[in-house]
Amino acid sequence: MRTRWVLAGTTALLYVVGSVVDLLVERASGWYAGGLRELLTFAPVVLASFAVGWLLVLRRAGGAIGWLLLANWLVLVSFGFASTYAGYSYSPTSHGDLPGARLAAIWDTHGWPLLFAPFLLVLLLLPNGTLLSRRWRWVVVLGVLSFSATTLSGVLGGERLDRPFEDVPSFDVLPAPVHAVLGLGLPGMTITVVLAATSLVLRYRRSDAVVRRQLKWIALAGCLLPVAILSSTFLDKTPDSSGLATWLPFVLLFMALPASIGVAVLRYRLWDVDRVVAATVAYAAVTALLAAAFVAVILVGGVLLGGGSPITTAAATLAVALAFRPVRATVQGRVERSLNPRRWSGEQLVDAFLADLRAGRREPEEVADTLARAVGDDDLRVYYWLPAQDSHADADGHLVADLPASPTARTPVRRGELHLGTVVHRPSVRRDLEHLLMRAGLAVEIARLRVEVRRQLAEVERSRARIVTAALDERRRLERDLHDGAQQQLVAIGLDLRHLQAGLEDDSPVRHQLDDSVQRLGSAIRELRELARGVRPATLDAGLGPALSELAGRAPVRTVLDVTDERFARDVETAAYFVVSEALANALKHARPALIEVLADRVEGRLVVVVTDDGPGGALAAPGSGLAGMGDRVAALGGTLTVDSPPAGGTRVRAELPCA
Amino acid sequence: MRVVVAEDQVLLRDGLARLFRDAGHEVVGLAGDADEARSAVAESVPDLLVADIRMPPTHTEEGLEVARWVREQHPGVGVLMLSQHVYGGVVDLVSGRGFGYLLKDRVLDVADFLDAAQRVAAGGSALDPDLVATLVRRDDDALDRLSAREREVLGLMAEGLTNAGIAARLVLTERTVESHTRAVFMKLDLHGDGDGHRRVQAVLSYLRAQ
Repeated sequence: MRTRWVLAGTTALLYVVGSVVDLLVERASGWYAGGLRELLTFAPVVLASFAVGWLLVLRRAGGAIGWLLLANWLVLVSFGFASTYAGYSYSPTSHGDLPGARLAAIWDTHGWPLLFAPFLLVLLLLPNGTLLSRRWRWVVVLGVLSFSATTLSGVLGGERLDRPFEDVPSFDVLPAPVHAVLGLGLPGMTITVVLAATSLVLRYRRSDAVVRRQLKWIALAGCLLPVAILSSTFLDKTPDSSGLATWLPFVLLFMALPASIGVAVLRYRLWDVDRVVAATVAYAAVTALLAAAFVAVILVGGVLLGGGSPITTAAATLAVALAFRPVRATVQGRVERSLNPRRWSGEQLVDAFLADLRAGRREPEEVADTLARAVGDDDLRVYYWLPAQDSHADADGHLVADLPASPTARTPVRRGELHLGTVVHRPSVRRDLEHLLMRAGLAVEIARLRVEVRRQLAEVERSRARIVTAALDERRRLERDLHDGAQQQLVAIGLDLRHLQAGLEDDSPVRHQLDDSVQRLGSAIRELRELARGVRPATLDAGLGPALSELAGRAPVRTVLDVTDERFARDVETAAYFVVSEALANALKHARPALIEVLADRVEGRLVVVVTDDGPGGALAAPGSGLAGMGDRVAALGGTLTVDSPPAGGTRVRAELPCA
Repeated sequence: MRVVVAEDQVLLRDGLARLFRDAGHEVVGLAGDADEARSAVAESVPDLLVADIRMPPTHTEEGLEVARWVREQHPGVGVLMLSQHVYGGVVDLVSGRGFGYLLKDRVLDVADFLDAAQRVAAGGSALDPDLVATLVRRDDDALDRLSAREREVLGLMAEGLTNAGIAARLVLTERTVESHTRAVFMKLDLHGDGDGHRRVQAVLSYLRAQ
């Protein structure tokens, strides 16, 4: 590791010193005009390869790719120094024929194949520094041979040099047969380029999503190559293709290539590639369309109004300005659709869901399923945050203290400062998910609120059931206290009085007074007993059947019972008893029936109690009436109470109580 | 008469014991719960066990369990159950011999209570008038055909009273009572027009069949 750092530092130092010297020499020579400009444009290109190359080497990422980038840097630097050195040597102010100046001049013209060789090899190695398979070694060999051959034939083949060294004699040392053989290098280079591209395509096809995204970055940079070629061919009007239109795209290409290679190999913000690609393509397309529109308006305007009319220009500008928004929207949609069909179809899914949600065709809780389908992750789950409980909950309102360990990725859902919940999902879908959550956030919030309300409602229902059960238990306790406490005491006192009485003379006047007192005690005890039964009949301890038959036995009209012997939970039995008790009281009070039928049986997990009378009907469970109160208690236990009382049709009270 | 009193409330238990003693009976055992009641009965084999239906530990039907146990283990011992409220679950037991069931405050009518206790100790039966009333109040065509007096007599028969007892209670002659009982049996289509336990059985089984 240390040697690499030392090497990197040394080369950087040498490079800086070399560049300064290069600049000074150019200044001194005076003839190579525009040296600074060239340096400023050339330097970023050189620096890109240098920096990315060392970054990869020092990080030990991507195998030989880093070294190849450094090789590319070396080639670029050698060109820079060679041209400066040769220029200094052959300048009109003539510093004389410096040693090696001729070679430098020849290199300036004929060294170009080496500008492409490192990048071609990089293409074969992307993104992890290994070849597609061992067979591809032959492509590397072919590349090295053909590029070397072409370089050699250029340097040694005696061809004329480019400006400004056209007067410098070239080497011409190759025998004709060797020159012919080396001539095969050019087609070899072409084949190598094609094979390298093929390797990339094959690799892309065989790869998973991560590698594909890595390769897409390279492809993105590679898009500049045709741009550069087209630009230098059609836009550059300078005679020797040295104008801005030629060198600028190439400078961009040689900066973008190392940069994209670095991104791909180091996987830094890899997942932005789709967005960058889409945005690049979309803006290129929009620009082209608007430029075409502008030109069209100018041409048409020129024909109609004559050239140079300000109206034409204004109209063209207006047309472009007006067209910008709709064109951009359409193009962006099209581009995203074709470049990222999955995200596009995901958006369509979410948008359709939101429309259905607004129309009431779907429930907000289905947002989880929709997101799962939109990003293609079956394991995706949405958990809603309940601040009051300080916990997540699922869509059914069940608290989830610990989110499941798998899948591993978590994306929080926020709306402003508000934390709405957490999506648990596979890491690979994070980008798409975040994108879609921006649309679906409102649905998540609605679902969260509904979960919260449902939970609160369930809690209220539970507490109501607890209150009613507690009240029933309280009745039972009160009844016990009356029977076992007050009543027993009174009986004991009565016995005491009787004992005292037994000790008295037969004709004692106190004896009669005691008789009277004991009788009054007896009445008090009977009153207490009635009171206790009203609170809760003790026979309920023996079951609904005994309690109801006692109740029916006390009714002044014929009451027919059909009651199951089954036992139920105490609160269920008590509630059922009071339903019958209230229904009987109601019937006796209002209906004057001749016959009352009481039915109690288990039906599908519910205790169903039906009290029917043959009275005139028309009874209503008015608020505050005994039946209405009974309905509340039955509802509190999760049951229902219905009163069916058609005029002249008798009254039918039906209660259903869940009894598991 | 040798009596065991089983009652968890001390005041009431002592009062009951005193009541029996005042009347010249012998209290041979006192019990505060079902287990004590069983051992007291097993130890002294009394003529009568007077027991509260609700006793510790659960305060539900301990007294009834003791009664069933006594019937099985000591069929000669009469059992008089007491409770604070009308308890329909005892009718089964009452139709057997030597069993009675009364509300607790009946003890304040000392003479009737002692009469019932002695009846039960002797193998007869006693059923609380309130419980009988719920049985007789049943809506039933046959019962509707009874006159008011006949209904009264039916109820007293169900309570376990003999003709003499009924006559004393209603201040009638025994002959008049006999004619009423015959009428009741005829109207209800009952047989066994005696004056003992079988009559009580017949009446109770009729009333319970409704």
